[in-house]
Amino acid sequence: MEQDKLSDAILVLRCQKRDESAFRELVDRWQPRLYYYVRRIVEEENAVWDVLQESWLAVFQKIRKLENPRKFPAWLYKISHNKAVSLLRKEGKYVQIAEAQMADYSENNGTIGVAKEQAELAHKLLAKLKLAHREILTLYFLEGFSIKEMAGILEVSEGTVKSRLHYAKHKLREALKGANGG
Amino acid sequence: MAESENKEEFVKNLVAQDPPSADERLRHSEDLFRQIKRRARLEKAVVIAIYMAVYLVAFGAFMLRKHTDNAVHSVCWGTVSLHILLWSLVYVLRGLCIQMEEIIVRISDRDERRRRKSQNLFTTVVAIMLFVFSTFVLCRSFFLTDPLKAVERGVSILWAIVIFLIIYSFSTAGLIAKLWLEHKKMQLYTSTSKDDNSES
Repeated sequence: MEQDKLSDAILVLRCQKRDESAFRELVDRWQPRLYYYVRRIVEEENAVWDVLQESWLAVFQKIRKLENPRKFPAWLYKISHNKAVSLLRKEGKYVQIAEAQMADYSENNGTIGVAKEQAELAHKLLAKLKLAHREILTLYFLEGFSIKEMAGILEVSEGTVKSRLHYAKHKLREALKGANGG
Repeated sequence: MAESENKEEFVKNLVAQDPPSADERLRHSEDLFRQIKRRARLEKAVVIAIYMAVYLVAFGAFMLRKHTDNAVHSVCWGTVSLHILLWSLVYVLRGLCIQMEEIIVRISDRDERRRRKSQNLFTTVVAIMLFVFSTFVLCRSFFLTDPLKAVERGVSILWAIVIFLIIYSFSTAGLIAKLWLEHKKMQLYTSTSKDDNSES
C-alpha cells in the first residue's frame, strides 16, 4: 500500500516534468477504479468514457499545480467528480439530496469491515442507493478516504459527509446482516 | 498487513463487478493519448513561440534607437552574462533530470529506451538552437549604437526572459529534489520490508 503511494508520487512528479510514459502508467494504474467510480455517478457507458477523457485531459493540464504528489488520489477523484456532476447538471439529471432527512444518522459513524468475498453484495447494494450515498460509499470502498478528503472531493461540509456515510454504512450493515442470515 | 491485503482484494473484486469492455478501453485510451501528445506538442510550441517573440520584440526595441552609452553597454553585457549563466544552469539541470530518469525508471523495453533517447536528443537540439539564436540576437544588439531609451524598453523585456529562465531553473531544481526524495523513500521502504520479511 505504502509502496503504491510512493510509486504514485514518483509517477506524478515525472508527469509534472511532462513525461508522457509516466502519464500513460498513471492512467493504466488508476483507470479501472476511476471507471468504476464514475460509472456509479453517470450510468451510461459512453458518458462515462467522456467524463474520464475530460478528467484525464484536465489532470494533464493541471498536474503541475499539484504541490503535494501524495494528494494525487483525492485530487484525481475531485476532478472526476466535478466533470461527472457538470455532465449530469447539463442533462438535468443531478438532484441535490436533502441532508435534513438524514439527521438521525449523524452519530455512531464507526468503521465497517467487508470481507473480500462480499464485493458482489457491496456492488449490488451500491446500485440500490441514491446517488449521493452511492458516491460516498464508492469512495469509501475504493480508496478509504478520510472524512476531510471526501468533503474536499465532493465540495460539501464534513458534517454532510459524516451523515451521508453513516446512512450508507447503515444500509450496508443491514445488507450484510441479511446476507449472513442474521 | 493481512487487513490491507484483504482490502486490496475486496477493491479488486468490486471493480471486477463492472469492468469496461476491453475494446472500448483500448479505443478510448488510444484516443486519450493521441490528444495528450497533441497538447504536449502544442504546449512546447507555445512556450518556444513566446520565448522567441519576446526576444524579437526586445531586439526590435534595440534596433529602433541609435546612440551609445557606456552604462547601457554595461547593462547589456550584464544581461548577456546572466542569460548565458542561466542557460548553462538549464543545461546542467536538464542533464541531471535525464540521469535521474535513468536511475529511477530503469527502462527495460528497448523501444521505449530508444524513444526516450531520441526525445532527449530532440529537446537538446531545440534548446541549443534556441540558446544560439537568442545569444546571437542579444549580442548583435551590442554592435548597434544603442541608446539609453532602448535599454528602458528593450532591457525590461529581456528581463522577462531572464525571469522566465530563473523560474524554470528553480522549478526544475525543485522537481528534481522532490523526485530524488521520493525515490530515496521508496528505496528505504523496499529495504525495510525486505528486512521484515527475512526476519519473519
